Order: sequence, then structure tokens, then C-alpha cells
Amino acid sequence: MKIIETRELKKTYTLGKVEVNALNGVNALVEEGEFVAIMGPSGSGKSTFLNMVGMLDVPTSGEIYLNGTEITKMEEHARVEYRLRNIGFVFQFFNLFMELTAIENVMFPMMLSGHPFYKERAEELLESVGLKSRINHLPSELSGGEQQRVTIARALANQPKLLLTDEPTANLDTKATHEIMELFRRLNEEKHQTIIMVTHNPELGAKTDRIIHFRDGKVVK
Amino acid sequence: MGLKSDLETALFFAKKDTGKNIRVFALIILAIAFATANIIIINGFMDGFSNSLVDATLDISSGHVNIYPKENDRYIEGLGIKELKLDGMENVAAYSSRLYSSGTLSYNEKTKTIKIVALDPEREQGVTKILEKIEEGEGLTKENEILISYRLAEDLSARAGGEATLVFENGVSKTYRIKGIIRTGATDLDANGVIMYMNEANNALGLSGKASIIMVKLSKRELAEEYRDILKKELEVSKIKVWREEIESITGFMNTVKKITDTVIAVGLFAAAVSVGIIIYVNVIHRRRQIGIMKAIGMKSSLIFTVYLMEALLLAGIGVAAGDALGYIGTKYLETRPFYCPIIKEYISAKFYTYLLYDASIVSTAVVVLAGMYPALMASRTNIIKAIWGT
Repeated sequence: MKIIETRELKKTYTLGKVEVNALNGVNALVEEGEFVAIMGPSGSGKSTFLNMVGMLDVPTSGEIYLNGTEITKMEEHARVEYRLRNIGFVFQFFNLFMELTAIENVMFPMMLSGHPFYKERAEELLESVGLKSRINHLPSELSGGEQQRVTIARALANQPKLLLTDEPTANLDTKATHEIMELFRRLNEEKHQTIIMVTHNPELGAKTDRIIHFRDGKVVK
Repeated sequence: MGLKSDLETALFFAKKDTGKNIRVFALIILAIAFATANIIIINGFMDGFSNSLVDATLDISSGHVNIYPKENDRYIEGLGIKELKLDGMENVAAYSSRLYSSGTLSYNEKTKTIKIVALDPEREQGVTKILEKIEEGEGLTKENEILISYRLAEDLSARAGGEATLVFENGVSKTYRIKGIIRTGATDLDANGVIMYMNEANNALGLSGKASIIMVKLSKRELAEEYRDILKKELEVSKIKVWREEIESITGFMNTVKKITDTVIAVGLFAAAVSVGIIIYVNVIHRRRQIGIMKAIGMKSSLIFTVYLMEALLLAGIGVAAGDALGYIGTKYLETRPFYCPIIKEYISAKFYTYLLYDASIVSTAVVVLAGMYPALMASRTNIIKAIWGT
């Protein structure tokens, strides 16, 4: 079943008087349960594509279908609600809330969605990413790898259909990178979690099911 | 997601953020506290001063309700009957009739024009404290005695115990013993006032049972408006003034002073509001990426607005509570440190009134919340992409 389908997706940014075509008619397809890498040189449109399918930004033209629903024409409040319940994000710079403990960071999306047992589920999620003993630590007390695992637990909080990650290991050492990739692989294989990962690293791309290559705002293969 | 759950989430974040930035927010709290305390202390001082001024005026020259002669009449007709009716009226605590006249007073070859205030000392004591304002000598006990104002005594070089010749406006001349010298705080009376017995003045002026005013003291001064109509009807009089009308010049003066102090307070509040606004604004700028993440995860703009508004409300709550305490302590301290006011010749001090706490709390909270609105609005409108990637 198709979880993502984009048709002639375009995004043009205006930088001063110059127009930049970040996406130039992207047609892409991702099946449910796939672990897909998006690769390409800097400025090829990878992150812009991720922002579009993650509903963080709206395209200039084209269509995006998430789980069969056309999302580009959704009202802002509907987009926010859809994003909360269906999409999880893992960013490059961890982006945890520094004043919240690990468990509070994971609880946050569930508090927003009104999950009745958010604390218990947050504990379970942190245990599943191997951080049971670190639940009450602040991000500043965790290593980079641990912080990224908290981010992953947070992204999975509302059981999203889609996990989007943008260079999730760019700031991690080899060991932590390996652990995070293992975690993604386990989530994909055991929970059939659909994962789309933007990366520059061909080694990491090779560990996914499929690679979508971007160049000049287009899918090249 | 329900409103309750939304508010809980907003409060959770607001508390966490406030706790994280406690040092910065301590400064905001301090600014709010001082602005709130400023409102309480200055208003406490002004209200204390204003009430002292009103009380002092009422204590000397007015009842809660004053009855005057009819238009074009110089004296109140049928004084005896009116006094009898007043004797039997509910809520009339006391009354005193006065006869105003003029004349001259001579002492040791010096003569001055005087204002005569004739009264019944026993009745007067039930309404005003004018007879307690004796600076030298004693109070009236006999009809051939008078009290003179301190400035008149200075002008005539007169002393208590001496004898002075009083010429009434009808030309009748009599010698009186100066029993005491008074300082009332009422400008006109202190300038050239002479106080004497009512009957004595009536006799000397060839009148019988006449008065220029009947000052009525009620059980509560709040009843004055109600009794204006009752007395008008029962006593068949046309000209009646309540105490508020009698002190109009004072309230006018006080209103002007109040406007000045309100401006001072407003400047203080504005300064506090600006500092609160700036600090929350800087906090929002500093946390732009975090706000972007909040929105990316699925936090509604309205909820982000609520978080930062709640933060302002939390700061206002703590700051106002501290300011209330500070204002209370400050006003109470000033209550024990009265100072002499040359205008009313009385010691005045700040006074603590409970309504000052309510007023200051409401005003300060409203100002702080308003100040927090712009940064909160800015936070809620943060562009996710720009915030997360710092562009």
C-alpha cells in the first residue's frame, strides 16, 4: 500500500530577487513498511522534499498523498493535527527540549494528542530504545547517541505511520551511528515502521531497503 | 484534544520554561513586584492623605448633611421646631446649629474685622471637633467668653485671659473675656474667627432663635444622600448640602493630585511592562528553534500562544503576590510614621485599605499580560522551517 505519493511536486523559494527551484517536479512513491534513504548532493532538494511530505511546508504546486489523503490543500489546523498523529520527526541536531527530562520530552507529543497513559507509554518507549535507566536525565546529561535515541522515542510516541529523519547520525560517532541505524532497522523489521531517511552517507543508504536519488530538485533514480 | 488538556500542557511548559530561566525571570518578578508595591503605597498614601483631609474638614466645619436658609433668607426659620424634629429622627446622631455673623474685635487699641461663629458648645461637640482645637487657654463655659483664632490673637497681640471689645454688625458693642485661642486648620476660621455662645450672639444681634446653618451628623456618613431627601421633606427646608458637596474644593484638589500620582504610577507600570515584554521577547527569540520543534511535532499555534501568555501570567502572579506583600508592609510601615501636613495642620499618614490590593493586583496583572501578548503572538507565528534550520 502506498504511504507516500507525490505528483509533479514543485517548490520555489524567492531569495531576494532570485527564484530558486528547490523541487522541480518530483514524482516519488514510498510503500508502507519501507525503509527508504534519500540521497543526493547538497541543494538537490532532499530536505525540502522531506519538509513537504512531513507537512512542515507547502509546495508551490503539485500533489502529495499521505496514506491516500491529499494533504496540500489541508487547512493549517488540520495539517497540525495530521502531523501530530501520523508523522514522527528525527532531526539532525537532536532538538530535544533542554529543560525537560528524557521522559518529559517523550511525553510531550502524547500530551498534545491527549494520550491517556502518556507517562507509562513514554517509559515503555524509552525502555525500547535502551534508556530505561536515563529517563529522568536532562538532555545535557545524555550523550549524543542517547539524545538521538530520546528523539526517536519521542518521534514514535503517537505511533506515527511515517518516521522522517534528516541526517539523524550526522553529529554522532561511529558507535552511536551504528546503534541508531540498528534501532531504525529493528523498528522497520519488527514494527513495520515506514522510515524515510535523508543522508549523505552511502554506507547508511546501503543499509536501507531502497535509495531515492535527488539531483537539481528532481528524482533521478 | 480538550481545552483542559490544552491548558494543562500549556501550563506544564510555561512552568518548565519559567523554572529553567529563573534568574532572568526573577528580574521580571522584581520589576512587577516593585510596580505593584508602588501602586499600593502611593495610593495608600494618597487615600490616607485624602481621607485625613476630608475628616479634618468634616471635623471642623461640616456635618454629614447641612441645612441652610431658604434662597434669599439670611437665617433658618423655625429653628426650634426643626431641632425638635431632629431630636426624634432615626440615624441622626447629633446636630449643631450655628449663627454666622461679622463684626470687629478690639484689644489693646488694635482692631480687626472678625467672622463670628456662634454655637452651642454642647451640641457642637456632638458634630465637630472645633472646640477641641484650643492652643492656649480653655474652652467656653460662660456666655461672656469667646475663643479667638491664633492669627487674630497674633494680629491683636491678644492672650487668653485678656478682655476684648466686640462690635457686632448692628453696632452693639460688648466686652468679652478671651477664654482660649484656637487653631482649627480651616483657613477662614483661623484667619479671623471668633467663637461664642449662640444665645449671646442672638441677643446681641437682636435676634431670637436664629441660625445660619444646622449641621447634622448621621450614624454613618454613607446615609447622607438618603437623608438629604428625608430632611428636606420632614423639616420643610429647600437648601440642603451633603458632606461631599461641602468638600468639593478639596476633592477637586485631591483629584488633581491623584492625576499626577496616577501618571507617576503609570510610568512605573509602563517601565515594568516594557521590561517584561522585552525579556519575554528575548526569551522567545532565544528559543526560536525549540518553538519550531514544538510546532513541527504538532503543537498548535494557539497553544504556543497560550504557553507564553501563561508564562506572563505566572510571572505576573508571583510578581503581584510579592508586590502585594511589599506594598502591604510598606504602607503599614508608613502608617506608623505620620508627618505633619501644613495644609490641614494635622499629622497625616499612609493608610492601608484592602481594595488597594485588589486594584493593584488587577492593574499589574493586566499590564503584564498585555506586555506578554506580543512576544506570545510572535512565538505562535514562528515559521517552522526557518526556526528549525535557523534561516
